[in-house]
Amino acid sequence: MKTDAELVAEALRGVEEAFREIVVRFERPVYSLIVRMVQDPGTAEDLAQEVFIKAFRRLDTYDPVRKLASWLFKIAHNTTIDHLRRHALETVPLEGGKDRDEEHRGGLAAVLSDESTEDPSAAAERKDMARSLERAISRLRPEYREVVVLFYVEGASYQEICDALDLPLGTVKTNLHRARKELAEEMKALGWGSETRSAPGS
Amino acid sequence: MRRSDEEILNRWLAAEEDGRDEVAEDALAALFEALPPLAPPAGFADRVLARAGLAVPVPQRRSFFAARWLRALAMLPLLIIGLCLPWLSEVLRSLASLAGVLWSPGDLVRLGTGSLIAISQGLVAALALWDWLLRIGRTLASPFATPAVALIMAGCLLVSLLAFHFLRNLMTRDRSWTHVESI
Repeated sequence: MKTDAELVAEALRGVEEAFREIVVRFERPVYSLIVRMVQDPGTAEDLAQEVFIKAFRRLDTYDPVRKLASWLFKIAHNTTIDHLRRHALETVPLEGGKDRDEEHRGGLAAVLSDESTEDPSAAAERKDMARSLERAISRLRPEYREVVVLFYVEGASYQEICDALDLPLGTVKTNLHRARKELAEEMKALGWGSETRSAPGS
Repeated sequence: MRRSDEEILNRWLAAEEDGRDEVAEDALAALFEALPPLAPPAGFADRVLARAGLAVPVPQRRSFFAARWLRALAMLPLLIIGLCLPWLSEVLRSLASLAGVLWSPGDLVRLGTGSLIAISQGLVAALALWDWLLRIGRTLASPFATPAVALIMAGCLLVSLLAFHFLRNLMTRDRSWTHVESI
């Protein structure tokens, strides 16, 4: 398998297949970050496409010393933040409002719950937890949400997050710590955390 | 939810309450690992390439003559015919004499002139028909050439245009989507 640097070098020489390989290799993490930031699969796909197009047009500015994933995350971060600024009022859902929309369009929770390999009750429980976790993430402020997704979902290191978000290490660690605390509070507020949990998310 | 997921969740929340940061971090990481990944819809890469102005590679149909040996094979008969040209007339003559159908030059001339005559006769008939249609057209159009009839025609055209305009306004003016009944 070609390294990221080799793929970039080939793409810079005009090899389309190399650029396609870059897209295929990083489409999932980029999309995953964006969809959790904007909470809408359609918008997320548009923004993810924009990220790769920007990357393609500015590929000559990529520094091979850095990880390609970090560079793409940085573009994804900027693109998403621009979008969130333009649609500032839509980022943090009001109580209940977004959830109803999500139910209608089969949003994140529907995507997250893979019911094919579990029995119905287990799948329903799992879907419940996925929905609660996604709801809790969506209630975090964007800067917390982003570090949570990058660190826990994409498995990025502290340094990679620093590179991607242009933040000092201390800020990243603080944001992550606070985000985790807030996430736990949100999950508790949604009814999780006790052995005899009753009707979470209701 | 699988039992292990619930245990992880409880472990994470308990660790957060107790201030055990490392345990909480590990548990939350494990919890996220349990979630299925999110991926963009199929064909995402194709759409990106298309939007970026890069051609999406389409599998091309292989040309029948793409193989070099096949091209050589196709050229071979042509080459043989070309090389045999000096002997072609003799070959044809011998073939014709075998079949007994070789035409003399006189026969060929007769055939040519016959064809020309047939074509000319067809052309004359077509022109006669065209003349006839033209005469009918002129006869029918002659009354319209007078100023009075032309004026009447222009008046009719104006009235029909006004009527069309009025009807269109009538159809579009009161359209209201709020009256659509819910299904």
